[in-house]
Amino acid sequence: MFDNLINKSAAKSPWLFHINAGSCNGCDIELVAVLTPRYDAERLGFRLAGTPRHADIVVVTGPLTAQIKDRVLRTIEQVPEPRCIVTMGSCPASGNVFKDGYTYAGPLSKYVDVDVDIAGCAAKPETVLEGLYQAAMILEQKRKDMKNKGGQI
Amino acid sequence: MAFDFPFVKEALTQMFKKSSCEEYPFKPKEAFPNYRGRIVFHGDRCIKCGLCEKVCAGGAIHNVLISEDEEKEVYERTFDLTSCTFCSYCSDFCSKSAIELTGDFHMTGTKHEDLLVKGQYTKVKKKPVAKAAPAAKAESCDNKAE
Repeated sequence: MFDNLINKSAAKSPWLFHINAGSCNGCDIELVAVLTPRYDAERLGFRLAGTPRHADIVVVTGPLTAQIKDRVLRTIEQVPEPRCIVTMGSCPASGNVFKDGYTYAGPLSKYVDVDVDIAGCAAKPETVLEGLYQAAMILEQKRKDMKNKGGQI
Repeated sequence: MAFDFPFVKEALTQMFKKSSCEEYPFKPKEAFPNYRGRIVFHGDRCIKCGLCEKVCAGGAIHNVLISEDEEKEVYERTFDLTSCTFCSYCSDFCSKSAIELTGDFHMTGTKHEDLLVKGQYTKVKKKPVAKAAPAAKAESCDNKAE
């Protein structure tokens, strides 16, 4: 009975989970700036989740170092489907200046399907908001596809 | 006072004030002056000195030879914005101002191709200059020695 209501509400309020995969902290600060009152992504429905099991969108920052690779992949696996993976900043998408380093194990797209790339070093909060909006749209589409296939969301 | 509720005055005044949040998604916003955003490449000004590739820390700039004939070579230069640190070294070192970092911050994409900036430039081949006869050179040297 409440399924439709819950689905509609969930589409308007995706929860974020943030993973730092060896970031320099630049992108992390920008993500915090997006969630705190100056840019306040919560007024648009985005909310930071405390655990990956509650999350819809995973935001990965940092170049994916060899030490953290397995942990990041395990955390992403814990996020229930439908999920959306967003790379924030240049590092997780390509490695940026760290790409020739011996501890670099990326890019992230080598291991999982990345849905949205947000460029910038570090990404501007407006750009992050835009990327999250795109991710929310993709998530809504994935939800519909999953429902049409007969899956339970 | 009997009706001295805390913060009532504050709450009522704040209700009719403008929000202190950025109004970005609802109102368009421009970047600050000198913001380094999406790269624009002016291929007609490029002289293919290759300095931008050498100074690029992230290795974001690549060249591909597209076509070649006797007079000129046509190259395609790709700027990978996912490898870029937006340090603007490439534009600073460019003597012909062929690379420009604009204030456009809308840099998101669902595919890798969305974040590539491409531009073509041509390199005119120099014709080989006819060398002077070696005998004449030797003569001139001898004259100088004398």
